[in-house]
Amino acid sequence: MGRLGTVLSTRLLTKRYGSLTAVEDLDLEVGAGELFGFLGPNGAGKTTTIKMLVGLLRPTSGNAKVAGIDIAAEPEKAKALIGYVPDAATLYDKLSAREFLEFSGDLYHVERKLRDRRIAALLKLFDLQERGDDFLSGYSRGMRQKVSLAAALLHDPQVLFLDEPTVGLDPQSARQMKDILQDFCREGKTVFFSTHILEIAERMCTRLAIINHGRLVAMGSLQDLRHMVGQDGQSLEQIFLELTGSREDDVSAVLRGLES
Amino acid sequence: MASKARPGAGALEGLALGLLLWRVQLQMFINQTIRSRNAGRIAGTVAGAAVILLAWSWEGFITWLGVEASHRMQLHVDSVHLLSLAFLAYTGVLVFSSLVFSLNALLLNPDLELLLAAPRSVESVLASRMVVQVLRLFLLSLLFTAPALLLLGVVNQTPLIPLAFAVLFLLYPVFVVVIISLMSLLLVRIIPVGRGREVLTLFGIALAIGINLANFLLNPALRDPGFARHPGVAPSLPDVPGASSAWLPSGWAGRSAAAILSGDWVTAGQWLLLLLAASAAVFAAGSVLNGRLYMAGWIQAVPPRRRHAAARVRRSKGALPLLSPVLAAVVIKDWRMRTRDLAQLVRFIMPVVFLFIIFGLRFPRELGAVRSLGDGPPAAMIGLIPAWILLFSLSISLGLSAVSLEGKSIWVYVASPNSTMRFLQAKCWSTALPTASLVALAALAAEIIIRPGWLWAVTAVVLAVAEAIAVTSLMVGIGAVFARFDWTDARRMMHPVGVFIGMGLFSIISSASALLLVISIALAAVTRFPLFTTWLAAMTIAVGGAIAVAALGILFGNQHLRGLEVG
Repeated sequence: MGRLGTVLSTRLLTKRYGSLTAVEDLDLEVGAGELFGFLGPNGAGKTTTIKMLVGLLRPTSGNAKVAGIDIAAEPEKAKALIGYVPDAATLYDKLSAREFLEFSGDLYHVERKLRDRRIAALLKLFDLQERGDDFLSGYSRGMRQKVSLAAALLHDPQVLFLDEPTVGLDPQSARQMKDILQDFCREGKTVFFSTHILEIAERMCTRLAIINHGRLVAMGSLQDLRHMVGQDGQSLEQIFLELTGSREDDVSAVLRGLES
Repeated sequence: MASKARPGAGALEGLALGLLLWRVQLQMFINQTIRSRNAGRIAGTVAGAAVILLAWSWEGFITWLGVEASHRMQLHVDSVHLLSLAFLAYTGVLVFSSLVFSLNALLLNPDLELLLAAPRSVESVLASRMVVQVLRLFLLSLLFTAPALLLLGVVNQTPLIPLAFAVLFLLYPVFVVVIISLMSLLLVRIIPVGRGREVLTLFGIALAIGINLANFLLNPALRDPGFARHPGVAPSLPDVPGASSAWLPSGWAGRSAAAILSGDWVTAGQWLLLLLAASAAVFAAGSVLNGRLYMAGWIQAVPPRRRHAAARVRRSKGALPLLSPVLAAVVIKDWRMRTRDLAQLVRFIMPVVFLFIIFGLRFPRELGAVRSLGDGPPAAMIGLIPAWILLFSLSISLGLSAVSLEGKSIWVYVASPNSTMRFLQAKCWSTALPTASLVALAALAAEIIIRPGWLWAVTAVVLAVAEAIAVTSLMVGIGAVFARFDWTDARRMMHPVGVFIGMGLFSIISSASALLLVISIALAAVTRFPLFTTWLAAMTIAVGGAIAVAALGILFGNQHLRGLEVG
């Protein structure tokens, strides 16, 4: 748990699409200053959970609170404290990065002078000053991801949600993003991110949660998770495979089946 | 990679792949309509089918009338020339449709990459596109002519007539599709990356204006600047003397069609065979050439265009007087999106172009007629007609698409700490501002030219502006109820039901307003009340009613958006 108390919590958070249960009875607690990794196989319910936490989806039941504010009951108040970077951010192609950031700043009620100062600083931080006035349609996926993160940081949120933030980034940009997120957490703010890249999660996260078939299967520090599976010294990848039931043997068996 | 197999193999493989693609498209169509399990879509499909059946019945009836009339009047027409001319005119449709399709397929449809990544030759992939296009055109031809052909078959007791025409419809588009496909491959070399949609839109505008102007200049019936026609000149389509030439496909198709209708099957077969041989040869050669052209490289490898430094200096400060930062942000963002995207920009420009075509070319005669009414409200009201046409077009195109304009980027707003009502407020501003400004300009210009008396002119302009704001806001509300955020093609932003309801409400509001104003004039004449008093009362009721309907629309829209989930 973070040094400064709980900033994000969910209680029996559930999302159903008809007969399909995407997320079921999810209980999470994330503290201030934490860099929290949210892991799970494809289709486990990571994106659905994040979308509920940022107010894009309504939970079927249960609740989620950001800084004590119920996101479903007081969405606007809660959203003011949240920054969100989706996995494949759809941006306005016919705006420049600067214009998009200006738009985002205004949406989040950032005072104009402060907004412009922050935009200049963020464009510099993400090495986008040169291309800041180019239309976003000409940006690569990695650059769009940077713009999306810059927009999420612009209003100085308390909690930053990132869905697969490192997808599409070159190693240098991935490293840069990692540094930025760690600096963000050092200021007492919280990062909640989902990723498939376990190596990044292992190195960056203070605590982790693993979700499978919509249910939370483990939560804690890496050391906690090791204790949970009963084998110290295991890598996060091994723990993940152990907890989500994906075995290398299974993969080999399937591949052998394809050959025959 | 380019196929090194024998010539023609690519065309044959393309034929097979084309049929496969066609099957997939048909499957997708069925999945999206009758198998969608979506009540709205199924209802839409049933309604669409009912409309087609109704149109077919009407076409069948008109054809029957035509056949009866021809039997009684014994008309002597050069059927070869007439049918050749029809096929030549059809070529124009084919050219436009094929160019749009080919450019779309090359520049916009992401599945080209998917196909090229498959173990198929480039020739066959490009040939398959041509096959799909030919099949589409074939079905479209049948859609428009099937009832007439079936009826002709029954009346002439020759059931082969529809079948023979179907073969003709299948073969005739081939040469156009192949030539246009080759042209498109050459064209995309000079179209910058990401500009496909704009180029297509520009082409559409040029063609629309070109056809209108050509018709206006060539058709003797339309040469007169006023409403009246030259005495003795009947309206007619422009003739093209070479249409039935034996050296042109239109001549072959025309001869074949005339022979089919007269029951001369030998002649019909000869011309059909010629068309078949030429189409097959053109398709095979076109497939090879297409593949070669594609493999020779195209513009897609060129890096995107950078904006000039001057563009950075001209940046707006991002603020608008009287508007909060959130409202101003959405208004400015929408303005930028609309004006930077040619397809969106056309929504502003096209109404003005058509106003020019409709009124501009007949201006002197119309002005004289309106001025003859003298001072007073009737002349002022007639002066509002151009503004009303502009309002209809802008409110539908801008208002109904205002919410859907966000597309997949709607998450940016939904994730922000703002209410949906605020979002709708912003959308009302972003559409009402340009609409009301343009409507005011049109109304003002018309009133200045007509000069119905300054008092009537001012009230007419005020009425136009007030109704423009109300009607546009109403359209925003309807657009919110029928919002679409999953579009990739801007033409699919607006929901057909929303458009239908929007048009209906616009007609009701316009008719009610006009009726109220007419009643006010009649009331003043009967009761001897001052005309200006009754006129103002009518205006107030008309505008008040429009505002009330708009408020309801916004409330419905807000209710709908509040339940929005961005999954």
